[in-house]
Amino acid sequence: MRFTITLAVAGLSVGSIYALIAVTLNLTFWTTRTVNFGQGAILMLCTMATAVAARSGVPIWLAGTVGILASAFAMVIAERVCVLPASKVGGSMGWAVSTLGFGILIQGIVSKYLGNQAVAFPDVVLDAAQFVDLFGIRIGAQYLVVFAFSLTVIALLDLAIRYTVWGRVVQAVAQDPELTRVFGVPMRRVVVVSFALSGAMAGVAGILTAQIIGTVDPAFGFSLLISGFVASIVGGFGRNWGALLGGLVIGVIEQVVGGYVSTAAGHGVSLAVLMVVLAVRPQGLLGRAEAVKA
Amino acid sequence: MSMGTRRDLFRGLAGIGAAALLARGGRAVAQDSSVIRLGLTTALTGPYNEFGEGNKRGFDLAIEQWNAKGGIDGRKIEIVTALDDQMVPDRAAQNMRRLLDDPSLTAILGPAGSGATMAVIDMVTASGRPYVNALAQATAATYPQTFGKAPRRNVFTFGIISNVEAEVLGTYVAKTFKSIAVMHESTSYGVSGRDTLLGVVKQHRPDVKIAVEAYNQRATDVTAQLVRLQQSDAEAFLVIGLGTDLVNIRRSMARLGLKQPLVTSAGGLSLPYFEGAGDAAVGTVAPMVGVLVEDEPRPEVTRFVEAYKARFGTDRYWGPDPQRPQIQMSLIVIPAYDGANLLLEGIRRAKSTEPAAIIAALEGIRDYPGVNTIYNFSADRHHGIGTESLAMLRVVKKGEKLGLEVLKG
Repeated sequence: MRFTITLAVAGLSVGSIYALIAVTLNLTFWTTRTVNFGQGAILMLCTMATAVAARSGVPIWLAGTVGILASAFAMVIAERVCVLPASKVGGSMGWAVSTLGFGILIQGIVSKYLGNQAVAFPDVVLDAAQFVDLFGIRIGAQYLVVFAFSLTVIALLDLAIRYTVWGRVVQAVAQDPELTRVFGVPMRRVVVVSFALSGAMAGVAGILTAQIIGTVDPAFGFSLLISGFVASIVGGFGRNWGALLGGLVIGVIEQVVGGYVSTAAGHGVSLAVLMVVLAVRPQGLLGRAEAVKA
Repeated sequence: MSMGTRRDLFRGLAGIGAAALLARGGRAVAQDSSVIRLGLTTALTGPYNEFGEGNKRGFDLAIEQWNAKGGIDGRKIEIVTALDDQMVPDRAAQNMRRLLDDPSLTAILGPAGSGATMAVIDMVTASGRPYVNALAQATAATYPQTFGKAPRRNVFTFGIISNVEAEVLGTYVAKTFKSIAVMHESTSYGVSGRDTLLGVVKQHRPDVKIAVEAYNQRATDVTAQLVRLQQSDAEAFLVIGLGTDLVNIRRSMARLGLKQPLVTSAGGLSLPYFEGAGDAAVGTVAPMVGVLVEDEPRPEVTRFVEAYKARFGTDRYWGPDPQRPQIQMSLIVIPAYDGANLLLEGIRRAKSTEPAAIIAALEGIRDYPGVNTIYNFSADRHHGIGTESLAMLRVVKKGEKLGLEVLKG
């Protein structure tokens, strides 16, 4: 029992980060129908910038803010140079390649100016040795904090989408961009804000991951993006609660299969789940079959 | 064609001939035959430039010191061709081809990693040119069949080779623990490292209890591996992997309340590990050349430390403490420094730049005090650092900071 619960807690915690990444992918998907394949580099940018700033003596909250702003800004640039030009050509998939390229560019820039070696990431809230005793089972306090924080961020975003003017506009854009434009909604502004927010939240996901693994380097983020992407599709692309469910399912399955079957199978199993979901329920666990407007 | 133009033509041809002669003469002057010419390929840029740059500093410092003493019989020494391979095997092979095609190079200083070294080493062996391997740990770079069999004739190794490290680590583990949990990365480095190491452990303690788990390099979470190993009630965790993954493993152990010592290779003594794992790093044990932490260092060690500080200051190889260099210098800079010194000593003794004479002179070196160790080479032994030169070091808390102590016995 202790064995299973320990695995499940780690899985829920890491899974909540996958969910957060999946939600950041949703954000840009709603407004532009694109997915940023360079999102791994965006979350690395924030985490590396935070770690390097903190190492040079900047207070951690300020370093984190600088990092989050950096990834938000990078996403605004990505929208301008990768997504906007492609959107002017009807049906172009150019954004897929150019966002991936943009990610590689960011990775190169970070390697050049912040160094290629792994940098230790400071403990933001608690240190790794702190734990909570839950019915006699030792649960790492950092896991709980990461879990709670991810859930809070996702919940806040969902509330914002449902109850703020901006959120309603995003919903409108997601359902019918042409009609929204006809109503005089400033589309560019909505799109840019969604990208900036997506970048900022990706940065938060990066910082949370760094709390668990302890170091970051410029290659950090790529495998996280894949896990986030899988979570997103398994849960139902474009749906926040789907992303959350998908992330948690993937996180827990990875750990439980790793613990009970073989740790070598742990990572591969999430891709197997992806294939099964795509075959049996392509719209994802909580997704609805999509009707495309002619 | 008039006579005048024909005469001009001859004059012109003569001029070209003279220019060609001059040019040849000019090149002969540039290629001063009194200079002992060395060639280098290493990671001068790119993700692994930390290793290549550190190697180059060691080489440069040794060569500058020889030149300041007047060179070898009045001949200056110079690295005339320094090529950048970024530790990419293909690039290293191209660079090595260029170096070996230049017959004026007396000796070659090789790449700073095992992958790149293995890509060039057969070519180097075939050429017969004296070769300094300052860093590559792969045993096959020095001993192509197995450790203990005949070495490559012209390759001399100054880093810690895998088998030597495994022997020291394995002996320590077998002597200290009855049951161990092994975590290794899933790369070929991790797998072969595990096999070599467990071979040594079982040889010394056949009844040892072993539990093994693998993880992927830069895994996000290693809880599953650790809780599986936790069930084996091991007395120590033995990890074969990079320093960055070590941080993740040690932090996860702390989260799970696993208090067992973590035994690993040199990555466990590195600064990124200390910074990333913080106080959880305390108790980590790893084998390393211990000359920089000894209380009474040999004069060669002191002289090197002073010379390095005077030449390069307290740079990233020196580390954060201005009073004392970090132990990693023994891993990257000093092998290159010792390697260049011994190569030049070989050339001096050979009184020749002929490969066979230099190799014979190097193989004749006995009890030569370098920085990392006292060097002994022979026709059968082409590696400098043996098991006797390595110590087991433990991370301890010294006041507010982390420090190292040498384990006795």
